[in-house]
Amino acid sequence: MAESSGTTLMDLISADPTPIPAQSTSSSASSTAVQPSPASASAASHLHHPMSTKTTLGEKKSKRATLMQIQNDTISVAKAALNPVKANIMPQRQRQKKKPVSYSQLARSIHELAATLDQKSSQKQLVNHVFPKLAVYNSVDPSLAPSLLMLNQQCEDRNVLRYVYYYLARILSDTGMTPGGGIPTPNWDALADIDAGGGVTRADVVPRIVNQLTTEASNSEFEFHARRLQALKALTYSPSGNSELLSKLYEIVFGILEKVGDVPHKRKKGVFGTKGGDKDSIMRSNLQYAAMSALRRLPLDPGNPLFLHRAAQGVSFADPVAVRHSLEILSELATRDPYTVAMTLEKLASPVGALQDILHMNDVLARVSLARLCHSISRARALDERPDIRSQFNSILYQLLLDPSERVCYEAILCILGKYDNTERHEMDERAAGWYRLTREILKLPEAPSLSSKDKAHKTKRPQPLIKLVMRRLESSFRSFSRPVLHAAARVVQEMGKSRAAAFAMGLQDIDETVHVNGFSDALDDAETNESSHPEGIRRTSSISGPGRNDTIASLLASLMEVVRTTVACECVYVRAMVIKALIWMQSPDESLDELKSIIASELSDPSWPAALVNDVLLTLHARFKATPDMAVILLEIARIFATKVPGKIDADVLQLLWKTCLVGAGPDGKHTALEAVTIVLDLPPPQPGSMAGMTSIDRVSASDPKSALALQKLVQAAVWFLGENANYAASEYAWESATPPGTALMMLDADKMVAAASSRNPTLAGALTRLQRCAFSGSWEVRIVAIQALTTIAIRSGEPFRLQIYEFLYTLAEGGVQSQLSEMHLSNGEDQGASGTGLGVLITPMLKVLDEMYVGQDELIKDIRHHDNANKEWKDEELKKLYENHERLLDFVSMFCFIPRAKYLPLGPISAKLIDGYRTKHNITVSTGATDPAVVATGISDLIYESTQPAPAASNSSGLDDDLVNAWAANLGDDGLLGNNAPAMSRVNEFLAGVGTDAPDVEEENVFSRPSVGYDDMWAKTLLETSELEEEDARSGSSSPDSTGSVESSISSHFGGMNYPSLFSSKPSSHSTAKSGGSKYQSTYEGYGSPIREEPPPPYSYSEPQGRESFENPVAASGSRSYESDDEEPRKSTGTRYGTALYDFTAGGDDELNLTAEEELEIEYEVDGWFYVKKKRPGRDGKMAGLVPVLYVNQS
Amino acid sequence: MILAVLFANSVGNVLIERFNGVPAEERLHWRSFLVKLGAENLKGVKNEELLVACHKSVYIVYTMLGDVSIFLVGKDEYDELALAETMFIITAAVKDVCGKPPTERVFLDKYGRICLCLDEIVWNGLLENTDKDRIKRLIRMSFLDSLFYQIFNYLLLLLFDQTRINFL
Repeated sequence: MAESSGTTLMDLISADPTPIPAQSTSSSASSTAVQPSPASASAASHLHHPMSTKTTLGEKKSKRATLMQIQNDTISVAKAALNPVKANIMPQRQRQKKKPVSYSQLARSIHELAATLDQKSSQKQLVNHVFPKLAVYNSVDPSLAPSLLMLNQQCEDRNVLRYVYYYLARILSDTGMTPGGGIPTPNWDALADIDAGGGVTRADVVPRIVNQLTTEASNSEFEFHARRLQALKALTYSPSGNSELLSKLYEIVFGILEKVGDVPHKRKKGVFGTKGGDKDSIMRSNLQYAAMSALRRLPLDPGNPLFLHRAAQGVSFADPVAVRHSLEILSELATRDPYTVAMTLEKLASPVGALQDILHMNDVLARVSLARLCHSISRARALDERPDIRSQFNSILYQLLLDPSERVCYEAILCILGKYDNTERHEMDERAAGWYRLTREILKLPEAPSLSSKDKAHKTKRPQPLIKLVMRRLESSFRSFSRPVLHAAARVVQEMGKSRAAAFAMGLQDIDETVHVNGFSDALDDAETNESSHPEGIRRTSSISGPGRNDTIASLLASLMEVVRTTVACECVYVRAMVIKALIWMQSPDESLDELKSIIASELSDPSWPAALVNDVLLTLHARFKATPDMAVILLEIARIFATKVPGKIDADVLQLLWKTCLVGAGPDGKHTALEAVTIVLDLPPPQPGSMAGMTSIDRVSASDPKSALALQKLVQAAVWFLGENANYAASEYAWESATPPGTALMMLDADKMVAAASSRNPTLAGALTRLQRCAFSGSWEVRIVAIQALTTIAIRSGEPFRLQIYEFLYTLAEGGVQSQLSEMHLSNGEDQGASGTGLGVLITPMLKVLDEMYVGQDELIKDIRHHDNANKEWKDEELKKLYENHERLLDFVSMFCFIPRAKYLPLGPISAKLIDGYRTKHNITVSTGATDPAVVATGISDLIYESTQPAPAASNSSGLDDDLVNAWAANLGDDGLLGNNAPAMSRVNEFLAGVGTDAPDVEEENVFSRPSVGYDDMWAKTLLETSELEEEDARSGSSSPDSTGSVESSISSHFGGMNYPSLFSSKPSSHSTAKSGGSKYQSTYEGYGSPIREEPPPPYSYSEPQGRESFENPVAASGSRSYESDDEEPRKSTGTRYGTALYDFTAGGDDELNLTAEEELEIEYEVDGWFYVKKKRPGRDGKMAGLVPVLYVNQS
Repeated sequence: MILAVLFANSVGNVLIERFNGVPAEERLHWRSFLVKLGAENLKGVKNEELLVACHKSVYIVYTMLGDVSIFLVGKDEYDELALAETMFIITAAVKDVCGKPPTERVFLDKYGRICLCLDEIVWNGLLENTDKDRIKRLIRMSFLDSLFYQIFNYLLLLLFDQTRINFL
């Protein structure tokens, strides 16, 4: 490939500016091939090391050719080096026309040319050839530093000097260690270490460079000042850890500013005579610029008054870049200490002050910083006593709304909306207040004394309501063709939606969107005639509308949203995603949802949406829900569109989490609707793995390819599982609170009656049961298994008649007798249905057995009680003991299937309560802990799953148990450190909500041709095919990071041969636990707002979910271990931890395992079968924090 | 913070990259993400037409200039619009150095000078100089403002005020 295109980097850098035919270079390259091996070449210079370790077969050929060529060059250079310098340079130059230049050659040239600087040709050579070509290598060797320093001292040529500063800065900065594009270079320091004889490392040369540069930076001669600037700049690249250097730098910068800063230098706007030939003023302004730029790069020094003073000086400097830096520094300082900054800037903010001038300055970022600065000062509570200062800054902020640059205007809008408020606690207040300000306040420009352009004066006379200005501005932005503008405008609308939602959530009094906005300005106009002077220009007024004006906030918003909606037509998906997010945020609970739904549905049908973006929108739903819990049902409906349209792209964990939070947040009334909305997924025709053709015909499910069909199936499983786990919560139906005596059900053995009774008593649960029963028949086998497990869960948790209803259903299913009738509508999917007709016999039998045992136990108990009553006998201790043991045994059984509160759960029916309690008090038994739970004891592996969920005595929380069970779960997980933190879905949501996220995106695509600065030999020589192979590797390794949507799926399919079932549970600490912490976060967010959800303190038990492998191998055992009681994880966490260090590197072999790097410090949670479950202090490269490692790899301390 | 400036050629080879504040292990991801983004979207795009993307709270603006695609990644104050500004400056500087939208060959010929320009435009992850002439002067290390420059500045200022007035 390199040959054909003729674009090897080597060819190009060696060429003269006039392009030469590519063919000739490459042919000459191959024709000049000589024999030697790489080893002999490296003998010429150790510097030339082959970089790339990845070598594919195909590239070898061209690589070889280039290698030979380089060797040829290096050898000839080595020969030439023996000749006189002049002779060396000239022939080399001629040769370079045809041949590439190696790094070693360039390095050698620099050394030589530095020695012969007095010759003009040397300088020319350096500037035109050596330095530009050296730039192509992504780092420079520290051993060049002495020559560079020599050049720096002796050379007069400015072009050479500029390059010298550039390279010195590169050596100083850390980028030497990491590639910077172009041709990769080795790690010089490592190389120097290997080379025992006089290798030069960065550490050796950095002090020398710093010394020389600081001397230069302190030199105050005029002729020298250009170099001073560059020296100062280069110094800012030096590693920031060195405090000595830092203080030296501060000293230099402050020194410069002291000399040049205090001279009053008013920015003038005249054409001539500003800075014209006056050398001093030029030097001054240049130095001001350099010093301010350097100061900006130095770490902030908040407490230091001198620092603040120097920074504030910069506001009135002549140089726009210096002003920008000064404002950036000030705005950062103002977020920490607004009071001091405001006091320092008090004079500058006045209508004739320097800050006003900045409004007209031609530097966008300076004005952006000004907006931020004004925002932090005008909102500072520390300045409550100085309303005058605050209003001055506020006035400037509002004036920035008129800025011609969108960037500045948007920044001002965001500031007004309260986006940048560092105090998280007040975020909602700030946002709500921001919306209030935007909708209520007026901008009236001050009499601009500095710029008295005539038409301006009469045009700006009229005060404008902010909201109108903003709306007009945004509408015009949405007509733009520029994608960045559209994206940014949509983002601003989104932020507006957030603030609006906050305002509604806070129940701000004045938020009436039907108020006519012009009324405000009218009122102001009137007021103005009476009291004419309001220099700050901003007035608050709560006046009601004047007649005749019809601009209400609502109508303004409506027209804006109309424009926003049309933007969905943009061809860029990112813009569209932002628009949809904006629409979601601007959607209010009482508006019609249809339009949004249809927009989203049609958008999602577009295959060009990347999965990451789809999930981002899903997370937006999450955030929207948190802002307005009333919208749970609406949001769930939207989420359903995602589930059906793009099942392959969404993250099932995040979706489940959304379901869960919505269910919890929907409140008592909404629970039923919420559950319905979730489980409507189940009403979709399930995908039939065998018949893909059928998929396309189903109009509502878009799962046309196998991948999304599988994903949809996974989603259905998730929904079924969710239903099983949460139906009881949604229906508020719990066996341990059931009022129905157990006997009642026995009287209704007629199935029809039973169903009727059930649905009349609790339609929510009855509906859920019906759905699950249908799933147990008609789904694919994976779904059926989950459905059966879900049914069992409900059976165990619910009282009669539901339990009996399920029992009957399971029994029938096990018998298989009715299968033929029931499954008439069910198309065979080609699987062997098994003897029972459903293939579920194995699964159902143990469940039935448990239910059988419970019923038998209940019968016997009733018999016994009657017996005792009739005989009027007291219960003997042995009898009670037997009863109690039976109770415990049943509890253990039941716990194998799902979580139940052991303290409250009565497998023998409510009648047993008295007797059991009696026995317990008598024998002083605290309610058993989960440690003896068979789910824990029987399966060692379950220890791994529930590593930190060591149960504590349930007695302690028996009082806290109440019907709002999931609420409790939700709240409990907040401090459930490990599970909560580990859960990828949760962390994703939290991260999203916190607005962080600079970590790299995952690239899942197979066919990407990115090559991070590849070795020059592989850089150009690879074929496309090879590239994609390489990339596949990259992508795969990348997907192991916790962020990857694909990771769970791919790892599962690799573990289980592509079978899908276990995936539901495989991300072990995932959905359930995450949901809980999600809920808890939600709860805490709302603590301040009197939300209905923060009722009772949560009983501290936790709840977990099964782990993939296990549940796959043995579904029954898995279902047992899937949910069990774990009352409190804290005790084990605090007592059981040990510490250790990794002895060797360890590569994880599976999802549960953890990569180790030798010497890493670890926290050992516990040991199982030769494996430690350990936690790292910091997440590893793959992002995992905890997992299994072999015991032998860890040194316990 | 401008997290990354990346130049790539048409087949996805990274020509220049400058990362700021991005952990080394994430750079690989960024590279492949950006190059993939370019491969998918930059076909048939006009010179200097700005495209936009975002990942979490990080913004990406990218464009095509001759044979070279340029990517900018930023966060916080460097949102899509600020990056667009930065992009204008970078493309202007590159065109200035190369004389026209560069072919890959010309770009590599002028590699050293482009690096110097970039050094003056983005310094430690922050936008520095925005003025083309000034960048030129800084590379030449001569600082005397020309008369022409002053007049130009003044006209710009006038124009700026005019726009402001018009907007009202």
